[in-house]
Amino acid sequence: MPVSTQPPNRVIPALALSALACVWLLDFGLVQPNRIVSGTGYGLYAATGWLGAVVVSSLLAVAVGLALRPTHKRFWVLALLLITALMALPLLLEMLAQRKLPEDSAYARIGIGAGFWCLAFFLALMLLETLGQLKASRRLQLSTVLLIVAGWWFCATREGLSSLSLIREYANRADQFTQALTTHLSLSLGAVAISAVLAFGLALAMVRRERLRRPLLGLVSFMQTIPSLALFGLLIAPLGALSAAYPFLQTLGIRGIGWAPAMLALIAYSLLPMVRNTYVALMEVPEPVVDAGRGMGMNERQIFFKLKLPLALPVIIEGVRITTIQAIGLTAVAALIGAGGFGTFIFQGLGQAAMDLVLLGALPTVFLALAADAILSALKFQGASR
Amino acid sequence: MIELKGVTRRFGDAVAVDNIDLTIETGEVCVLVGSSGCGKSTTLRMINRLLPRTSGEILVDGEDINKADPEALRLNMGYAIQSTGLFPHWTVARNIGVVPDLLKWPTHKRDERVSELLTLLGLDPATDAIKYPHQLSGGQAQRVGVARALAGDPNILLMDEPFGALDAITRENLQQEMLRIQRQLSKTTVFVTHDIDEALKLATRIAVMDQGRIIQHDTPEAILRRPASAFVENLIGKGDRGLKLLALRTVGDVMERYPRPRQSDPLTEGLKETDSLRAALSVMVWQNSDQLPVLSEAGDAVGTVKREQLLQGGV
Repeated sequence: MPVSTQPPNRVIPALALSALACVWLLDFGLVQPNRIVSGTGYGLYAATGWLGAVVVSSLLAVAVGLALRPTHKRFWVLALLLITALMALPLLLEMLAQRKLPEDSAYARIGIGAGFWCLAFFLALMLLETLGQLKASRRLQLSTVLLIVAGWWFCATREGLSSLSLIREYANRADQFTQALTTHLSLSLGAVAISAVLAFGLALAMVRRERLRRPLLGLVSFMQTIPSLALFGLLIAPLGALSAAYPFLQTLGIRGIGWAPAMLALIAYSLLPMVRNTYVALMEVPEPVVDAGRGMGMNERQIFFKLKLPLALPVIIEGVRITTIQAIGLTAVAALIGAGGFGTFIFQGLGQAAMDLVLLGALPTVFLALAADAILSALKFQGASR
Repeated sequence: MIELKGVTRRFGDAVAVDNIDLTIETGEVCVLVGSSGCGKSTTLRMINRLLPRTSGEILVDGEDINKADPEALRLNMGYAIQSTGLFPHWTVARNIGVVPDLLKWPTHKRDERVSELLTLLGLDPATDAIKYPHQLSGGQAQRVGVARALAGDPNILLMDEPFGALDAITRENLQQEMLRIQRQLSKTTVFVTHDIDEALKLATRIAVMDQGRIIQHDTPEAILRRPASAFVENLIGKGDRGLKLLALRTVGDVMERYPRPRQSDPLTEGLKETDSLRAALSVMVWQNSDQLPVLSEAGDAVGTVKREQLLQGGV
């Protein structure tokens, strides 16, 4: 008699069936004659032929079947299956390229359709649920992500996918892409670092002097309420005037547009979550702990560095995490005032109605934000578990 | 020796401690007892300067405590509090070792001290030392709190309701441990509690406080026999005053000793020398006997105690 009989999982079948519906009902991929004209869409069967359609459909059917089986091993099998599926997903697009791409046209390219996005999305959700059921360790989760990224990297470097419009856009702008990455990272991480130092000082001032709390929190909350575009715009005039009055500022690159106003605005936005978390974290260190430390003979310095700071650290890191994700997103908007970064591709793409160029800016931004989230969460957990 | 002379502490207009004089002799356990808000904790916290006094003098071994550096003063005073105040991000061993670390003891000396204290307080140096405070039961956490207070081998021990949040059985156990440790170490101790039974049990002398004043400062027996006011009488409870008196003495104080231990009948229930007269009387009433043997740890009869001796012991 099976002792470890487990109830059938309902989440995975629901996700798999949704994926099945999407993948059959929506366009799986597109073939475009050039980068501007919206091309013709192909469904799963038309795009990948019998082979692709059967593989995808049977994969989802097997997932449903496995999820309903009452043994525990099913989740390990599912995890393996889903990871392989996600790694090899771009091969489906390669099949589309082989089957439908006109060979005589130099500008023709294939685009990614809604069906493909949905399939990737639902597969990822199913994998998430599976890893959750397995109570996977952080290390396992991380290696899963790395494995999938490596799979995509491998697929993207293959000849067969060179006609994918996203890759074409990248190939046209490889230098700009690297530069955008550096600018984006240095702007957002620089702003986070500077505001972390500022916020730490402000929070300490608030802890020391209770009466500073309301005006300071009021100020940083107010800055958060200004729409980001408006703040970027508002900074152009004063910075422009400053650099006109003091020419040496221009040699530093401080002008009405460019990185200076972007940096200032990003710092202003980053202050609220940082200040609030640092302040709350320091205030919430239990009073008896501080009392005991003082009663044991610690001086104020030792109380701060040995007790308050380590106990507050997980919440402070949480503040840094929220801020970093927010700053990476906002930096994309800062491209509008000439700050550079991935936003440049997004706004260029919007201007040229080239959606794949928009994606070339948007996808790395999302990826950076997710990576920052993962790294800082890991740091926080490590800090909290000690 | 700790001397408080005319010590007053005000919080704004409110007077928390009102011109008190108190002398705590070296090696004695002085228990400050009173209801909450009577100023007992404030008094304790003035001794290690966690609170500054408004006026008056506090001397430790003849030296005004305000002359010394407050951190140096506190390093020589063990401090244990009700909520334990254990540092949640440190292991038990590191928590206990905090004062030795602050005193910059060499590592091996600190580690030896930590395991010595764990053993002294009935914890396991191998398994408990590496735990974190959240993995401990309330009683264990409080034991660690006491061990931490003792770690720097201070001359003075300050304890602010250390057993206040524990259940009755755990509290009873820890009180016994305290008595045992105090017999071994004889630290000058100031102990704050609102529980008169705890005070009677642990104190060499009790200071009863009310509204910032010391109403009576005397031995537990004198407090029971001659309460200075209606307030003290109320605090000790009129109903079982006699039984509380009996609880102050042990069987060892009144028993008749045999010249040499005798073999005892394994079936008879006996008393131990450390049992209080109150507990002994309870056993006699239960067994309806006039006389009971007193047994050693090994189970030999070392003496005998009669009911009349018991009752006279309380007088």
